[in-house]
Amino acid sequence: MTSAVLFSWLATCIPLIGALAGRMLWEDLSQLKQSCVIWSLISVVPILKLQTNLPEGALLLALLPIVAVISLLGQPVQKDHRLSWVMTLVCLGLGIGSIVHPAPLSHLFLLALLMTMTGLLVHHHTILWPISWWGISLFCLAALGALVTVMTNPPLSSFGALMTAAVLIPLLPFHTGYVTALTRLPGNLPSFSAFLLPAVGLHVMASALQTVPTTASGIVGLLALIGALYGAVKALAQTRVRLMLSYASLSFFSMLWWHSAASNLATARAAVLVASVGLATCGLLIAWQIIRTRYGDDVDPSSISGLASSMPRYAVLVTLLALAAMGLPPFGVFAGLMGLLLHSPIPSLIGLMILLSSWLAASWYLMSAVQRLLFGVRRSDLRYHDVVQQEWVALTITIIILTVLGLAPIEWWTSTATQSMTQTFSRVIP
Amino acid sequence: MTPVNESMDLESKRMELRGVVRLAGEIIAQYWPMRTFVHHNPLHSLEYLPFEETVRRGKQFLNGDGYLPSDLYRAYVASGRIRLEHLEAALQPLASDRTIVLGSRSVTHGEVLRACLTEGICSPVREPLDDQLEDPDRDLIERIARKLEHVLETPSLDDRVKKVVETNHSALCRWLTLSHWCDDTLGTSIVQTINDQMIKWCSAFLDEGHAAWTMSDRDEGLYQSWKRLAAQEWSLIGIADSRRKIAALPDHPEDTLLESLDLLGIPLALRQDYLSLQLTALPGWAGFIKWRGEERDYPWQQAHPVGLVKFLAIRLWYARELVQAACREYLDIQGRFDEIIAYMRDYSEEYYLRRQRIAGHLPSLYAEEVDRLAHRKGQGWNAVLTRYRTEVVPRHQATRRRGNARRLLVLSRSLDIRDEQLVESEPQALKQVIDWIEAFPESDHGIVWLKAFEAGYHEPLIGQLIAASKRERTEKPTTLPLRPYSQSVYCIDVRSEPFRRHIESIGPHETYGFAGFFAAFIRYRAWGKEHDTEQFPVIMRAKNEVREIPRSYLDHKVSQHQVWTKWVHAGHTLLHDLKENVITPYVMVESIGWFYSLPIFGKTLLPSLYRRVTRWLQRQFVPPLPTTLTVNKLSPTDTSEMLTVEHHKLIRVAIQERLGLRSIHITPSLIEGLRQRALQGGGEQDPGFLAEAEVVGLKANALDAFVLVLQREYDVNSRASSRYKERLTRTGFTLEEQTLTVETALRMMGLTKNFARLILFCAHGSTSDNNPYESALDCGACGGNEGQPNARVLAMMANHDKVRARLRKTGIDIPSDTHFLAGQMNTTTDAVRLFDLEDVPPTHRADLARLHDDLREAAELASRERCGRFPEVQQPLDESQATAHVRQRSVDWSQVRPEWGLSSNTTFLIGRRELTRGLDFNGRVFLHSYDYREDPTTRFLEVLLTAPQVVAQWINMEHYFSAVDNEVYGSGSKIYHNVVGRFGIMSGPWSDLRLGLARQTVMNGEMPYHEPMRLLTIVEAPRRGIEKLIARHEVLQHYYHNEWVHLVVLDPVDGEWYRYRANGEWAQLVQEQMAMTS
Repeated sequence: MTSAVLFSWLATCIPLIGALAGRMLWEDLSQLKQSCVIWSLISVVPILKLQTNLPEGALLLALLPIVAVISLLGQPVQKDHRLSWVMTLVCLGLGIGSIVHPAPLSHLFLLALLMTMTGLLVHHHTILWPISWWGISLFCLAALGALVTVMTNPPLSSFGALMTAAVLIPLLPFHTGYVTALTRLPGNLPSFSAFLLPAVGLHVMASALQTVPTTASGIVGLLALIGALYGAVKALAQTRVRLMLSYASLSFFSMLWWHSAASNLATARAAVLVASVGLATCGLLIAWQIIRTRYGDDVDPSSISGLASSMPRYAVLVTLLALAAMGLPPFGVFAGLMGLLLHSPIPSLIGLMILLSSWLAASWYLMSAVQRLLFGVRRSDLRYHDVVQQEWVALTITIIILTVLGLAPIEWWTSTATQSMTQTFSRVIP
Repeated sequence: MTPVNESMDLESKRMELRGVVRLAGEIIAQYWPMRTFVHHNPLHSLEYLPFEETVRRGKQFLNGDGYLPSDLYRAYVASGRIRLEHLEAALQPLASDRTIVLGSRSVTHGEVLRACLTEGICSPVREPLDDQLEDPDRDLIERIARKLEHVLETPSLDDRVKKVVETNHSALCRWLTLSHWCDDTLGTSIVQTINDQMIKWCSAFLDEGHAAWTMSDRDEGLYQSWKRLAAQEWSLIGIADSRRKIAALPDHPEDTLLESLDLLGIPLALRQDYLSLQLTALPGWAGFIKWRGEERDYPWQQAHPVGLVKFLAIRLWYARELVQAACREYLDIQGRFDEIIAYMRDYSEEYYLRRQRIAGHLPSLYAEEVDRLAHRKGQGWNAVLTRYRTEVVPRHQATRRRGNARRLLVLSRSLDIRDEQLVESEPQALKQVIDWIEAFPESDHGIVWLKAFEAGYHEPLIGQLIAASKRERTEKPTTLPLRPYSQSVYCIDVRSEPFRRHIESIGPHETYGFAGFFAAFIRYRAWGKEHDTEQFPVIMRAKNEVREIPRSYLDHKVSQHQVWTKWVHAGHTLLHDLKENVITPYVMVESIGWFYSLPIFGKTLLPSLYRRVTRWLQRQFVPPLPTTLTVNKLSPTDTSEMLTVEHHKLIRVAIQERLGLRSIHITPSLIEGLRQRALQGGGEQDPGFLAEAEVVGLKANALDAFVLVLQREYDVNSRASSRYKERLTRTGFTLEEQTLTVETALRMMGLTKNFARLILFCAHGSTSDNNPYESALDCGACGGNEGQPNARVLAMMANHDKVRARLRKTGIDIPSDTHFLAGQMNTTTDAVRLFDLEDVPPTHRADLARLHDDLREAAELASRERCGRFPEVQQPLDESQATAHVRQRSVDWSQVRPEWGLSSNTTFLIGRRELTRGLDFNGRVFLHSYDYREDPTTRFLEVLLTAPQVVAQWINMEHYFSAVDNEVYGSGSKIYHNVVGRFGIMSGPWSDLRLGLARQTVMNGEMPYHEPMRLLTIVEAPRRGIEKLIARHEVLQHYYHNEWVHLVVLDPVDGEWYRYRANGEWAQLVQEQMAMTS
């Protein structure tokens, strides 16, 4: 067994072992949460030792355990969340497995991940949210796509992979799976899934795009444009925070789809965008979780206001996250978008205008939501309690990573495979 | 006959409506233009009600709090500012003698009430359905909650639905407009939309020279002007076919308003309340329109008439259209009162869910469901409610139990009851405590807190005065009084108190306090100004006018001065127009924008130096001219002479303009002839004059035509002459008036003997930069203006020999070597400027120099004292540093607290200076000199209680309400202020006119700098006389019986101190206790 294989298996198995170990600490909530955090952190070590040659670079892979830690830290110590902590480790292990292992093993891990998601969504289905059946169906479709990828040859396998990727990195009309995951999964799983699904999705997409026919790329580009606009409009119309963030992600990920469809590539720049959007969404979901921790799981956001004066630390962190999420410098979303805009062909000017409008819309709905929460009347019927240490650590790490993603040179995240692809691409485009 | 009857009926309806609108407008206070900011009680019109009731009305109509938040009062308890014995005394009327046993401890009702206040257990915090924050008490709370399970009755969902419907039914049109109802039920934003429209139209219409492009047709009034413009506007607010609808509206605003009220179906009995609610939606704009409507002589009102009826006609038109649209869209009903009531009754459960959704009280999934059903009346709602009943209601009940358990835990800990003992207490005892807590909601705490807060200030203050009065009685003067260096009279303003204390400490200077208009009710026009200022309290009227004119020996310089002034003015106008015009700013920024860097950097980096340089430059261009005032009345001969000169000037201009004659051909006889013809009309024609007219080309017909032009266009006619003469006769005072004014002032302040060689009447004003509230720092008794004209007028009168001769006959013998001076204290720098020094006799030079030096020293000491209050001044400053610091503040354009002297006022003291000399009141007391021995008939006291006390109470209440609810009664942060139309302030680019004082004026961080307490009036006078005055004046009854003002009296008859109670009885103050507290 080579060291690469060994570390791949270690990276995959450590979280899964952690999940099993969690069963032993089931009754001690604090210990269980700490254990999940520690197992996630340990899984970083083999990943750092891995010499991967992924087309999208190792950035997303390296960030996966860190995002798991962040999402766990943002969660209160509560009995109902035990399952979500353990399932975070399970999903982390399966997610890493689907990236680091070669096919067909990676497809099996991917299949397992999708089935786990499906199972969790079925388990948490409620009749008040009938639309979640659509989401569940789409995860099944993604699983089917993964099966097709394993069992067939190109171009059919490429279509299967593309369909799986479209569910994981939301692309209209396959976005409902992602939206359902972010809105219906319990505990910290939505914030973790906001990063995990696109990260795995980009890996699938990277391998699929190279063999997809041009016509299919054109359709994907068109869907992406519609999706960007649709996501922005839907986000504008939302009153629920998690829905708004889901549609905002759809809008931003559609921009990635558009560029990827145009270039038939998923490079490290795409990874920066996916990481940044995923991380910003994860951070904002944690920020919303902080509100839910104080005012109940099913709190209505319109009933919360005036946090700026009463929860100043929270207000500062949320404002920074919102600035990052709407794509302002110096954060990663800006760097990712600009990287794609400047380093890949722009197939149509109208498409570009649509993308820029969607980007601009983000500054409206995100800031509007933040403004509603932070400003306005300080309500006398609310008990205000600023962020506790673990929440503060979670949000601060998120902001630091987003800043690093925005400021670090792209070479940091580029693998050998990507470099060679980019060079080829540069030669093609005069 | 029928049309006549109909028209009479319509007119009577309009009249009736105007009456209803007038009554509806009572709830809003007038809003004076910012340039003459008048401190006033924002709920002034409701002073006929008890204080507590008025505060409730304020909450009902304006949603304003009348007391500080309980958290702040608790902070005062923690700091010792509120003492527990005062709190208990304030609670005494509410506490019963019942007790219960918790654990092994007996707990009284009073203890529970006190804990409600000090521990905040009545706060309206809603327990979340399932919060997950770590809480060490969670298990304990759960245990207590379980004990409450069987004793705590929770209203069923049906009961809650019924209660909501009943409450809203009774509130509709009384507390809640139909627009509000739609917003709260359907999630629309009708009120905001209407407000936005009204702000747009009002700010454009009411503009007073700020806008470069003014609204058209303003001379036709607000309603007509709006109707004409809005009928051409494309509506973006969702009113279909708005242009046609507006064009079809009646011409009379009253008819439109009646039509709207009918269409909304507002019952007759509720119309007044309904209109009040509409006005209080924008109390600032409505308040300014109310003020304009009452000030018929106001030039802008004469030019562009506006009133509340017009305002409401427009507002209600928008309301009826938007309510109609919303009710049709969501509920498929007419937007009428009766249909809305029927909907609440017939679809009560759906209504309940809708309201809970908008209030943010539904769990998010249910909120989604309600949003989905929002446009469907009656369909699908039952399923949601059924699920809500089974899933959410039990959680609500558990939450309520947990909330009460938490309260009990906090209470028991405050009473030193162990947690376990509480858990083991009888459930019935726990329920009893909860009942007591719930019967004393936080909305009832305010008045209790306020009373305790006031007692904590009153006790030491009165104790201090009692000790001083005892000392004064026991220490009889052993020698005759010496003649002081000077006597100076300051405004009663609290900012004078430190200055008076300091100047008295420097040398044998005596000081007096008097309302800053110094009994001189004048309309004043400064030299070179075009408008008069009203130099008297706004509750009074003046009949005398005074003008500032250059001194006669400077006649040769006047024209040159005028020319320069004109050039400077033209320059300012040009710059303003270039900046405000639609096109020119683009060019201007490019061409001369860089020059503006000089003032920007100068004002920011070196404000004092910049101010000195600009003043020096200003003096070079337009050197100031020494002036005097027209204090004496003009004789009839002088009046006629002035009229003739004025006419001659006009006719000469008319001949040059209309006939093109050169000056050389215009003879005095021709001018006089034309004047006579213009004044007399037709009649016999003087042949000599006709001949002279013919020489310059004016034949008979042309002459008649020219005379007509003179009469009509140049106002050379008998009517205009009468007006001019009448105006001239208002200028100045007769000798009798002057004598009366001086006598009244001197007697009222008790200055009738032992006059010093120099007596200073010291007014006050202020200087600050970039401060729209500058006039709020000026003299309230002078109508929000600087008081120096009044001081100068009184000094000139008192220096008048004939006036002194007459005063001598009345028993006031002013020595011939006494000279009266006028001065003005700048309350931002504490510097005193003296006026009319040319008139000081040479014999008084040494006295003047000494006074000048002492005033400067007192100013330094006062500045030093004031610097100690600024939060940013950490270290104590010496005198010179303090002087430099306050000067810097006065010119710093970024300074939000240039002065900070008037805030913290609390008390109005009417009495002799002997009672207060040497006492340090920290600049919180209005001091009015009054010697009861000079006023046996209480004639002067009557004036003091009904005029200066009213001014003090307005200032006090302005500060009170601005401090307790700065967002509603104050004007929010200065940082966001924008001047609108040159008369008011908005927060940001688009808001209601901000009413009161800025947050920075009354607050110091999160704590109030101005401690909000009702005015305490302390009078040294016999009680019997005061009782008579109270019986005679309604305003005093309102103040004391309705508890707007506290009255404490030192009765010189028995030397005892008394408090006047709201029931009209006197309560003697326990002197020893008070003195000990002090």
